Formats: sequence, structure tokens, C-alpha cells
Amino acid sequence: MSGASDREAVFPTRQSLGIMKAKLKGAETGHSLLKRKSEALTKRFREITRRIDEAKRKMGRVMQIASLSLAEVTYAVGGNIGYQIQESAKSARFRIRAKQENVSGVLLPAFESYLTEGNNDFAMTGLGKGGQQVQRCRETYARAVEALVELASLQTAFVILDEVIKVVNRRVNAIEHVIIPRTENTIKYINSELDELDREEFYRLKKVANKKARDTAAADAEMKEKKAQQALLENGQENQAPAADGPDTTTDILAAEEDEDVIF
Amino acid sequence: MEGLLFNVNNGYIEGIVRGYRNGLLTGTNYTNMTQCESIDDLKLQLGPAYGDFLASLPPNPSTSSLAAKTTDKLVSEFRYVRANAVGSLAKFMDYVTYGYMIDNIALLITGTLHERDTRELLDRCHPLGWFETMPVLCVATNIEELYNSVLIETPLAPYFKGSLSHEDLDELNIEIVRNTLYKNYLEDFYNFVNTHPDMAGTPTAEVMSEILEFEADRRAINITLNSFGTELTKEKRKKLYPSFGQLYPEGTLMLSRADDFEGVRLAVDGVSDYRQFFEAAGLGGGPGGPGNMGGGSGADGRSLEDMFYQKEMEISKGAFTRQFTYAIVYAWVKLREQEIRNITWIAECIAQNQKERINNYISVF
Repeated sequence: MSGASDREAVFPTRQSLGIMKAKLKGAETGHSLLKRKSEALTKRFREITRRIDEAKRKMGRVMQIASLSLAEVTYAVGGNIGYQIQESAKSARFRIRAKQENVSGVLLPAFESYLTEGNNDFAMTGLGKGGQQVQRCRETYARAVEALVELASLQTAFVILDEVIKVVNRRVNAIEHVIIPRTENTIKYINSELDELDREEFYRLKKVANKKARDTAAADAEMKEKKAQQALLENGQENQAPAADGPDTTTDILAAEEDEDVIF
Repeated sequence: MEGLLFNVNNGYIEGIVRGYRNGLLTGTNYTNMTQCESIDDLKLQLGPAYGDFLASLPPNPSTSSLAAKTTDKLVSEFRYVRANAVGSLAKFMDYVTYGYMIDNIALLITGTLHERDTRELLDRCHPLGWFETMPVLCVATNIEELYNSVLIETPLAPYFKGSLSHEDLDELNIEIVRNTLYKNYLEDFYNFVNTHPDMAGTPTAEVMSEILEFEADRRAINITLNSFGTELTKEKRKKLYPSFGQLYPEGTLMLSRADDFEGVRLAVDGVSDYRQFFEAAGLGGGPGGPGNMGGGSGADGRSLEDMFYQKEMEISKGAFTRQFTYAIVYAWVKLREQEIRNITWIAECIAQNQKERINNYISVF
């Protein structure tokens, strides 16, 4: 048997057969549960992939608009205002909050962005000229950062889910292709061993019965001979000829017994 | 009368500047530039006008380095003209540079306030606003020192005097400081062209008054529009308006009371030019977004800012129709600046592949 080597090292006893059967049952339940989990995760994973695609396209568009609006600022202000902006920004206006989302037992981080109200550090930049462009550019970039944050949380979820799905699939496959066949093999092995034992037992019993029958037959024959000799002694010399036949028959019986033994 | 002796001192300069004006890019050049596929093509198109200055640029340069090189050309030409200028024209040209100095000083003040190493900032300063004592500003480490010992020595000292104390520099928003300085500068410049014996009553005074009045009005309107929704109070805002210009005093007073776009529109209603601008901008963007140039929302509508630039360019172009005037130097600098902005814009559009907005430049020739 090819799978004979692929089995667990157990003694083929009824007790371990019971254990193995319980194990097989457990493995099958686990397999179906994990399979379902993997399916749920994969569904989520596909959705995230789709959303990442959308978000990336959106980001491309938003970034393009944003960098054009920066060009507009340069045009309207007529110079580099980067330094002023850097220096006048004191605290973050755009912040993110991290929270966790539970998808079939997997914790996915999700980032949520929010604007702090009334925080407008460089509202005055470009007061003389270009102020509106500066403000609009800021809004555009805020939108771009929003898209980035969304993309970031999707990407993180993507990576984590990918990892988890791999692990789960590995488990599903391990159960399906290793644990279950091996347990089944073991059960088969135990069963076959037990059958073998049964047969041996049966044969042994039969052998014992035969031996007993033979012994009884031998004892009977002996008894018969004894009786015959007694009868011979009682009957005298005239029964000499039949007496010579008697030992012949006994050897015949023995030969027959031996033949029978070979056949059996 | 002014024609009699003007050429004795200033004829050469006038000739040079008129020559420079002829070197400005024309509408045809711009049309060619908008057809370019890459920055390299653009560089090639700019070859005749900017050849020497662009030669050192690497292939496919960034738009900012392109802008820097084109500015270099303006600066070197300006320095040449300045070196040849004498007497009141020299003074006049110094006045032109004060505007850039204000920007530079504001930059350095910002750096000092945040205790940065101001030496790095010297590179970021506009070269036209460079003055000899500017590196000295970096010596000051705190704002009081800067005010008491260094700013006093700069050409801008009179603009600080009387309106800003060193506490103000510390407390006020740098933008308010900058705009206060600019207001004082505009008033001083206006006063200078109208009272200096060499200029009063000449075409210089006439043309420069028009330009400066327009500049003053533009700043007043812009400050008002940009201050909506900021912590700038109406009272403080009023102090930032220059005390001359077509809007002064009634329009300025109304501007100081304006709360929204509509209020500004009412304030400028008395001046037909601005009224037209506001009507056009109002149709394009509405009260929510005056000056609508961006975000793709007002792609074809011209913004208020655009129209102001357009107007400025037209006035500057008009200045060249007059003879014997210093105003052409100012007008030339402004035209050149606009040209640099146009080039940057076109380069930016080409680099970002956003050709639909590429025609947003302003060309008057």
C-alpha cells in the first residue's frame, strides 16, 4: 500500500482507532470552517483590490490638479512662497486617526482623516496678491492628502489580508491534503491490522479446535484398541487374523489424519 | 521742456530699455511655445531671446530652474541699466528695487523670528531686492536686535519708522508687516515721482502715477478679498490700504467696511475698469470664488487676478508710447516679470501635460 508509510505512529488498537476517528472528525470541521474564513477574506481582499485601483486612479487625478494649482500659485504670487508657508505653519490642520476593523477575526487598521477646525496658520499668506490661489491650492492638496490617507489604509489592509489569506490557505491545504489523508490512512491501517488480528485469532481458535478433535480421535482410537486387545485376549487364538488387521487400520487412520492436516 | 535736456543724462538708458522692450516675446512666440511637446522644445523656442542664459541648463530642466535662469537675465540687464543710470534716474531705479527688498526683508524677518539660520535664506532672496547691507541682517539673532541695529541701516528704514515698532515685528503676522511696508513704499514712491524736481510735471510723473495708482488699488482690493475669513480685523485692514489711487478715499473707505465679495464690488463700482473686472469675475466664479483661476472649475473664465495682470501689462505697454520718461524702466521690469511668469506657466503646463489651460498666459505684444 503506497500510503502505508504516510500514517501516524500509533499502535493499532481499538482505543487509538477511536482517537483517530475523533481526530478526523475534528479535522473535517476545522477544514470547513477555515475554508469559509478563507472565502470571506478573499471576498474582502477582492473588494479592497478594487478599491485600491479606484483610489490610485483618483489619486492620480487629484495629484495632477494639485500640482497644477501649485503652478497657479507660483504664477499668481510670482515667486517662491514655500519658505513662508513652512515657517507660518504651526500645528497640523489635517490629522488622522487610526482605528481597527475586524474582518473574520483579522484586525485591519483603518485610517480616518479629519480637519481640525479653526486652524488656519497661513491664511494671510499672499495677502497682497495670490492669496486666493494659495488657499485654493491648500484645499486641493488637502484633498490629495485625503486620497493618500485612504489609499494608505487600503494598502495596509491589502498587505495584512494578503498575509492572513496565505496563512489560512496554507492551513486549509494542509488539512485537506496532509492531515485528513494521513488520519484516514491511519484509520485504514488500524482497521486492517485489527482485521488481521481477528483472522489470526479465528485461525488459532480453529487450530485449537482441530487439535482437540484430533486428540479426542486419538484417545478414542486408543480406547478402541485397548478394548479390541482386551476382546482378543478374551476371545483367544482364533481371532489372530483380525488382530493383525487392527494395527493396519490404526496406521491408515494416522496417515489419513496427516493428509487432512496438510489440506487444512 | 523735459525733452530738451532729458537725453543729456538719460538718452542712452532710454534707448537701451526700448531695445530690451523689443526683445520681449510676442504673441507669435507664445503661440509657438504652446505648441511645444517638451521642456527641451520650449528651451529651443526661447533660444533667440534667452540663449546665453539657458545654455547652462541640463536637458529637460525643471520649471523652477527655467524660471530662475530667465530671472537671471532680467537681473543682469537691470544691473547694467542701473550701472549706467545717473542722478534722479538712479534714484528712481532704486525705488523700483525697494519693492523686492520688502519681500526679502520679510523673508529674513520670518527666518529670524523662527530662529533659523538666516544665511541660508540669502540664496532665496530676490536678486533685484539685494542691497549691500542685507547680509548684515543675518548677524541679528533676535528681533529686537534686528530692529534696533540692523533694519535702521537699510534703505527701507523710513518705512519702518513710525508705523512699526520692534514689538510689532514680533507680534504681528509677517504678512501684515509686509503689507504695511508695501503701503508705505507705494506712498513714498508716489510722493517721490510727483514731487522730485526732475520728475514733477513730466510724463514720468503722469505715467508713474497711473501705474502706482493702479498698483495701490489692486493691493487694496486684493487685501480685502483675501482677508475674508481670516483674523485680520477691518480696522487693521484699513491701515494696509495705500492713501492714494483711484479708489481713495471713498472706495477705500467702502472697502474697509466690505464683508464679502458683493461689498467689494460695490466699493469699486465708481471706477469703470474695476467694475468691468468684477462683472466678468462675478459671472465666472460667483461670490464664492472670485478670482477663479483654479481647480478646473473656472477653466475658461478669467480670474480677477488675471485681469489685474492684464491691465497692468496694458498700462506698462502704454508707457512706451511716451517719450522722455523714466516710467519705461519700471514698465519694462514689469513686462519682463510677466514674461517670466508666462514662461513658467507654459513650462509647468507642458511638464504636467495639462495643455487645456496652457493659454492662460498674458501677452500684450
